Amino acid sequence: MSEQSRALSGGCLCGGVRFLLAERPDGVVTCHCGQCRRFHGHIGAYITVPRDTVAFDADATLSWYRSSGIAERGFCGRCGSSLFWKGDGKSEIEIAAGSLDQPTGLTTLRHGYVAGKADYYEIADGLEQFPGSSEPE
Amino acid sequence: MTDATAGGEQVWTGGCLCGGVRYAIDTHPEPISFCHCSQCRRQHSHVGAYTGLPRAALRLLNDATLTWYASSDRARRGFCARCGAGLFWEALDQSGAEDGPRITVTAGSLDDASGLRVERHIFVDHKGAYYDIGDDGVERRASTGETVE
Ligand SMILES: [Zn+2]
Ligand SMILES: [Zn+2]
Ligand SMILES: [Zn+2]
Repeated sequence: MSEQSRALSGGCLCGGVRFLLAERPDGVVTCHCGQCRRFHGHIGAYITVPRDTVAFDADATLSWYRSSGIAERGFCGRCGSSLFWKGDGKSEIEIAAGSLDQPTGLTTLRHGYVAGKADYYEIADGLEQFPGSSEPE
Repeated sequence: MTDATAGGEQVWTGGCLCGGVRYAIDTHPEPISFCHCSQCRRQHSHVGAYTGLPRAALRLLNDATLTWYASSDRARRGFCARCGAGLFWEALDQSGAEDGPRITVTAGSLDDASGLRVERHIFVDHKGAYYDIGDDGVERRASTGETVE
């Protein structure tokens, strides 16, 4: 099976959260907003998939935090891995790319919310940048 | 925001998303290193970004929700148990450290990281294949510590 057709799986550092994805996303989109920066300790990098295509093999240590009026963030309460972003009323879930088992066969597509970018780093990969959401409405 | 003390020296502050962990740093933090190791990638869910400092210079103003996880037999990672924010990395045994124990703090948890520069990428031989570092002109080191092109 090629990397581009392989089913993706992932989880946290300690194994308390493990999941399997029935669908492959288009690729990875980064997020430079201030909330992602605090949550992840640096920029966010996410794939987006339908929620009902995510199957959990383990979720004993999965915790949710309401990070704003419109969304919750999921993380492992034992090892602190920052894993998910779930918008209220959305049928999709965003999953942090670093939690995916390698190799993923994915590439990064574009940069979102660069209006919120911190000044201690540069974006140097030449990919398209969007001041806010990079998703087509 | 960062405060200025009477002496004009910047006071560096930071914390997690929910405020359960807040800290102040009583020194100018060292330049930032981006870590591309697989443990950082799992825990931070992408590249790690850390500044270093003497442990004694880190003052915890609030640590009500601070939790530690031994991520290997030689280091532990500190995060907020309420909001999941990744904050610290610390070597466990620092008894032999000449200049005293050190700690590293995530750049993203600082209220204002302006004025900190990036010094290097480390563990670039363990980088995830799904992203490119790009041509940022910053030194790159492999897990061996050697500079790579
Ligand atoms: Zn975990
Ligand atoms: Zn918190
Ligand atoms: Zn690392």
